Amino acid sequence: MKVLELKDVHKIYDKTEVEVHAVNGVSIDFIEGEFAAIVGPSGSGKTTLLNMIGGLDKPSTGVIFVDGKNLTKFKSSEIIDFRMRNIGFVFQSYNLIPVLTAKENVEFIMNLQKWPKKDRDRRTMELLEAVGLGDRGNSRPAQLSGGQQQRVAVARALATKPKFILADEPTANLDSASTYNLLDIMEKLNKEENITFIFSTHDARVVKKARRVITLEDGKVVSDITH
Amino acid sequence: MITKTAWKNIWRNKVRSMVVIASVTIGIFAGVFAVGVMDGAIKQRIDSALKNEVSHIQVTHPDFRSNNDLKFYIENSDQVTAALMEVEGVEAIADRKIVIGMANTASKSSGVRINGVNPIDEEKVFSLYNEVYPESGGYFSDNVGSGYAFIGVNLAKSLNIIRYIITGEVLNSLAENGIPDEVIQKLSPFEGKRYKNEKSFKKEMRSVLDPKEEAKYGYVIKDEAQNFSKRARLTLTFLDSNNNQTGGRFRIAGLYDIPNSMYENMEVFITGDELEKLVGFPPDVSHLLAIRISDVDDAGLVAKKIKEIYPGLEVMTWKELQPDLAMMSEMTASMYGVFMVLILAALAFGIVNTMLMVVLERTKELGMLTAIGMNKKKVFRMIMTESVFLSLTGGVVGMIVSKVIIMLTARNGISLAGMEEGFEEMGFSAHIYPEIGPEFFGIVTVLIIITGILSSVYPALKALKLDPAEALRTE
Repeated sequence: MKVLELKDVHKIYDKTEVEVHAVNGVSIDFIEGEFAAIVGPSGSGKTTLLNMIGGLDKPSTGVIFVDGKNLTKFKSSEIIDFRMRNIGFVFQSYNLIPVLTAKENVEFIMNLQKWPKKDRDRRTMELLEAVGLGDRGNSRPAQLSGGQQQRVAVARALATKPKFILADEPTANLDSASTYNLLDIMEKLNKEENITFIFSTHDARVVKKARRVITLEDGKVVSDITH
Repeated sequence: MITKTAWKNIWRNKVRSMVVIASVTIGIFAGVFAVGVMDGAIKQRIDSALKNEVSHIQVTHPDFRSNNDLKFYIENSDQVTAALMEVEGVEAIADRKIVIGMANTASKSSGVRINGVNPIDEEKVFSLYNEVYPESGGYFSDNVGSGYAFIGVNLAKSLNIIRYIITGEVLNSLAENGIPDEVIQKLSPFEGKRYKNEKSFKKEMRSVLDPKEEAKYGYVIKDEAQNFSKRARLTLTFLDSNNNQTGGRFRIAGLYDIPNSMYENMEVFITGDELEKLVGFPPDVSHLLAIRISDVDDAGLVAKKIKEIYPGLEVMTWKELQPDLAMMSEMTASMYGVFMVLILAALAFGIVNTMLMVVLERTKELGMLTAIGMNKKKVFRMIMTESVFLSLTGGVVGMIVSKVIIMLTARNGISLAGMEEGFEEMGFSAHIYPEIGPEFFGIVTVLIIITGILSSVYPALKALKLDPAEALRTE
């Protein structure tokens, strides 16, 4: 089932002296439960594409359909609500809230969605166990390693059972062991919860694990291979 | 969750938050304590005026107040008094006969208002009998016999009844009061010398003490050197009911000392019987009926009832008699409010600056929060809550510190002895007992919360304008 559809999407940054065509006519679809990697060199438009899929940025032209709804027509308040309910983000530099514990970080969005405490606690423990941090719920981000912080970020992204997880260079700051560990966890959750994972990366280890690899160059899709 | 996160956020940069909290604490303490001192001084002034000077309600002949003519008296005073005692709320009434005259001693004279009083009734309405200057004698009830006058300390000074003498006893007492030996040695050559008045005494002191010593110890030295002769006499002269000059010689029963030098200079008390004989008043007349009521807030109501019973008499409440005090009493709350608003407005700039730094430092995090679905309302609320927490924490600490200091200083009061003369000229005591009502803390709390909210608006709007994609790219 097609859950995400991009049609001739362009993104042009024209605020600087030189106009930058970051995404140049991308048309791709994603089906439910995909584990896909968008790869390409720096400046190829990976992050911009991911931001547009996540509603953080608007395409200059073209349309993005999510579950048949045109994301580009959403008002800004609708987009925020859409993100909260449908998308989980994993960032390169983890971006956890430093003053909250791992548990509080994971349950943050559930709180925003006003989940009952009982359900919140159950889901938080379930996710922390799933990412192998069941015993570190009360630790603050500063007390965790980079790999552990990124696992908390994945747990946070999955908390409200979103349709997609958009992960922007999730392994860029991790060592090999942490990278493989994180990828295994994400793959397992992808299969168990049937959540669509889309990575932007230039990490060969991620590419190797992905079941679909979309290559971007100068903002254009140059290859789209499903394994 | 937002409240909890906001509270934790303010402790991210402990030093910065503590600086803001300390500034709010100091600002609130300064404001609340200053208000406590002002409020204490004003309440003392009003309390002293009601207890010693005006009572709660005064009843006079309608022309007496404007003319001060002794013929404008209330007839059948006892009957009127008895009727007024029946009015609900009236607790006690003191009647006075009043004439304008002169007080004279061998060297000085001064214009005064002579009040003929019934000491027993007076004690039920006024508290002047409790304000006797130490070792100056006592009130009428302490003196048997006639021919006594009860006058103010300031009048006694004006009439040279109080003199200044440096005795061996005074020097010993100064040493006991902690005056340094070198100051006492400077004073010892003047032992036994008498000074007719304060001016000549001060002049002599200035010739031996340096300005710093005078400023620091002058008041204590003057106080100790004051000498009052219990054998002092004064003559009161005035016109009788036939406009003939009359008067009498009086011993000083005692001196009263209240924080109102004008009143002390003006008001002289003798017994009503003596004044009646000297002036030749018909029996059973009074110029003034001073009334004390059970609840001062009911003065208007009780005065209205009295007016209904005696429409031909002039009935005035203390607020009508002393409109300056009434204004103070009614305007203080709003004045204090304005005062606190000004202090908080100054503090608000510091809070705005801090919150702007917070938003700038957390640009990436705010971008992340928006990305994961925290809407603008919640981002605004989080910034606002942090700002309110910062100001409220400082405010609460400031109010606790103020309350403790006010409680401690209220025990013994704050002495501004060096400025006593200036204060008493305005009717205020130089010994202030700060006080503050719990309702004021409520008002300050609300003002602090409003300050926190207003201070957060600009930084929060800055946060709302952040583009999440750009914010996430921030390093």
